[in-house]
Amino acid sequence: MMEFRKDESGTVSAMFEPIEVDLLRNVASQLLQLLGAVDTDDAVMLAQPAIRRLLPDAYPDDPEAAAEFRRFTADGLLEGKLANATAVLGALGDDERDTSGEPAGFSAQDSVHDPLPVPIVLDEQQVQSWLRTLTDLRLVLADRLNVDPQGRPHLDDEESHVVNEIYNWLGMVQESLVYAIDI
Amino acid sequence: MPKIEESTRIREAVALDRPWVTVVWDDPVNLMSYVAYVFRSYFGVTAAEAERLMLQVHNNGRAIVATGDRESMERHVEAMHGYGLWATLDRAEE
Repeated sequence: MMEFRKDESGTVSAMFEPIEVDLLRNVASQLLQLLGAVDTDDAVMLAQPAIRRLLPDAYPDDPEAAAEFRRFTADGLLEGKLANATAVLGALGDDERDTSGEPAGFSAQDSVHDPLPVPIVLDEQQVQSWLRTLTDLRLVLADRLNVDPQGRPHLDDEESHVVNEIYNWLGMVQESLVYAIDI
Repeated sequence: MPKIEESTRIREAVALDRPWVTVVWDDPVNLMSYVAYVFRSYFGVTAAEAERLMLQVHNNGRAIVATGDRESMERHVEAMHGYGLWATLDRAEE
């Protein structure tokens, strides 16, 4: 992708390769599914490493206070994450499964025949959603990769190498966005 | 009343008013540029201060990013979690 740039109106945009659009759509959809399945009353589910990192304890030494805090905040945080991931998907445009009759702008099928980069344009609110979703995506992938405290992934198999590439790429996208808004 | 007892009571009373702090912890995922951005954006500190706090998190494993009453610190923790950072709250050190 070409780096994100901010224009005078505060809108941020970048050119993405169609394959990158497909990739981000793919992982964001998976995140949406993961988040959608979380039951904030299910202690076992909340204890899963990836979920626990997305919804951490506010009081690590006080289980009662932690539970109270979670009761008040987990649902709202989860809703926010769902909304952000949805916003990312919205900005990426329709996929080839869209049967509305409108031309599928950025479909994987199209990318074979029309491999031109596509513009991704984000307003201020969308930028916020992208920043947070990119973090959520990296947190989930880091768990899959068993990233150690120094940030090193465990690359045991071929799949983990692929996941690691995606993980790094998501970091690049996020950093590009942070530099573009440069506050 | 003996002086020793009185000063103990005063110290206990002050302890109940001890402020709380919001702590951001280092994590191996979040980019330094993103963490600094969150501090600038959410707490409204200067770029230099955000950088300083971020480096404190990075080098020391944690940094106190706010001090105040418990409820405010809880709001900050919640906000940090919204950004994907790892934050907790605790009573300030005596």
